[in-house]
Amino acid sequence: MNLPQSFEDELTALLPRLRRFAHSLSRSPADADDLTQMTIERALRARAQWQPGTQLDRWLYKIMRNQWIDTVRSRGRKERFEAPPDEAEALGHDPRDGVEAAIDLKRVMAAMERLPGEQREVLALILIEGFGYREAAELLDLPIGTVSSRLVRGRTALLALVGE
Amino acid sequence: MIDETKLFAWLDGELDAAEAAEVEAEVAADPRLVRMAEQHRAFGAGLRGAFNTVAAAPVPDRLAAAVKPTREPVVDFGARLRGRSERGGWMPLPQWAAMAATLVLGIGLGTTLIGERGASPVDIRGGKMIAAAGLDQALDKQLASAGAAGDVRVGLTFRDQAGTICRSFTGERSSGLACRDGGDWQVRGLFAAPEGQSGDYRMAAGADPNLAALIDSTIAGEAFDAGQEKTARDAGWR
Repeated sequence: MNLPQSFEDELTALLPRLRRFAHSLSRSPADADDLTQMTIERALRARAQWQPGTQLDRWLYKIMRNQWIDTVRSRGRKERFEAPPDEAEALGHDPRDGVEAAIDLKRVMAAMERLPGEQREVLALILIEGFGYREAAELLDLPIGTVSSRLVRGRTALLALVGE
Repeated sequence: MIDETKLFAWLDGELDAAEAAEVEAEVAADPRLVRMAEQHRAFGAGLRGAFNTVAAAPVPDRLAAAVKPTREPVVDFGARLRGRSERGGWMPLPQWAAMAATLVLGIGLGTTLIGERGASPVDIRGGKMIAAAGLDQALDKQLASAGAAGDVRVGLTFRDQAGTICRSFTGERSSGLACRDGGDWQVRGLFAAPEGQSGDYRMAAGADPNLAALIDSTIAGEAFDAGQEKTARDAGWR
């Protein structure tokens, strides 16, 4: 017999992944857990909008991404969500050799933080969360070509930043 | 010469077999591309490794707690009973009974839950809260499809994960969930109606968010339809 889990149980089971995604978007672990908490609260309030049978994880990732964009915007930070084209290019050259396989979380979070948000979210979904290009494009509501080009720019830039 | 977009798509497993074979051959023939591919493979693995330390770490208590329904139930008997058996002991009955008596008084302000003045809708037996009087009768006999016949309206009927039949109910000032226990209905949760809603006993059973959450965590499969409900009643709720 199929034993359906409650919404809360499924949400609880997804918390480790949600925290991981939050860490890849946020500038610090404290911010990441605040973002996770906001996402949980939002999801509980909006639970009637989730259609059972559809993927709960994607629905939650979308909520988290929207919360993150709102937070970054309302914080009024200098850096903008969209990358100025020249900055993306400047970040995107000269990847160093010899990036060791074991990368320190703190260092990689600091490097991610320096990427434009639009690249960071693509890297987070595809390289860290393991979504395919099409899934990421659907989740972000972007054309797949845009996702692919942001992935190229962000990946090259991040490799250079982590290699610094 | 392949571009970075194609190289990454290959590394990420996004190409079909024919394209992948093409890229693979091209990369193999160019030491610069071999090095680049290796570098990005190692980088991707390092990145995942770094962030996987987060996913592998215990979830902070405050986040685990945030998932629980925001309004605490007045009394979630199931949780209390589970909590107690985990600690390996029982609260002495008088304290337990006093607590339940307070609860019943609370929901009975002005009128009893069931409408039979003087008859408590719950008994305490062996540390369990058992439906009595009009509540017991309603749970035993009333079909949800028949609508509210007295002051109790039965909502959903379903089986829990152990296969026990449970029924949600709504009274004038409270709503709750009771599950079959031998020949009785054990009340697993009882929730006071939110302020301003008392008297609206036509509120659909399960509309209280706490009751909805309790049902959610109890139900296995779908709720019974009218036919299944009637069959279950005729079979003595076994």
